[in-house]
Amino acid sequence: MTSQDGTRPAVQETSEELRRTVTRMFGRSLHIRTLDTGSCASCEQEIRLLAAPHYDLHRLGFFFTPAPRHADLLMVTGPMVRAFETAAHKTYDAMPDPKVVVATGACALGGVYQPDPFTHGGVGSTFPVDVWIPGCPPSPLALLQGLLVAVGRLAEKVKDLDFALNGTPR
Amino acid sequence: MPLWTLRGLRRGVVTTRYPAKPDPSAQLLPTPPAFRPDVLTRSLADRLVAVCPSRALTRDGDALVFDVGACTACGRCRAEAPEATAASGEFELAATAREHLIKRIPLGGRPA
Repeated sequence: MTSQDGTRPAVQETSEELRRTVTRMFGRSLHIRTLDTGSCASCEQEIRLLAAPHYDLHRLGFFFTPAPRHADLLMVTGPMVRAFETAAHKTYDAMPDPKVVVATGACALGGVYQPDPFTHGGVGSTFPVDVWIPGCPPSPLALLQGLLVAVGRLAEKVKDLDFALNGTPR
Repeated sequence: MPLWTLRGLRRGVVTTRYPAKPDPSAQLLPTPPAFRPDVLTRSLADRLVAVCPSRALTRDGDALVFDVGACTACGRCRAEAPEATAASGEFELAATAREHLIKRIPLGGRPA
């Protein structure tokens, strides 16, 4: 018996089990490498604020690392300019498996720039993205929520929002 | 005991309790808009689409398609049509799939 995407239930179960194990391992100790693929640096500004006393991401077991080889999570900002593509792939390939990719900010999500000869207009066509964090720039709280969603400690909220108002706006 | 310990105790903890408790500063953040389906018409939707600088809004027949991932919360649509839009107040927008961020808002308003 096979499911819709052609994989057997046993394989799916194993992969789901593996995913749960990985997120549980990452849950209390996650090392983050940031990757700027041509952003305006507001996203970097907000990411740096995560280490400030008010947000203090270390209390949640998240740490920044300068080396992709030590990183579990790649936080990608910017619209992926084509000139940076080789370096981006090298960074991704240098990270040990299992790895998580988080696209951060409206540029990385493909909102601001169209694909053109200079930029891919988003990171989705370059990397397999696990979590998307909207915002221009996403606030440190939004980034924290995104990281906690990435390690499975918070449930995704936006899926069930409809962005429709019933009454008169304030 | 160093003096700064006492000073720290007196002034309290500055670190946010998020995610265990909501952070009061979250109310000050710019957030993507929410739309009123009962006010939106095709012409109003087209005006909003024209005013959006990051192509977060498109119109597909009788629906306004809002790409939350592309929204920069700039507020131009709220300035264009304050009667049909308001800040959603949502900042916890992380999604595990890109299509979770694309919302279809039906156009239920009667044309003027």
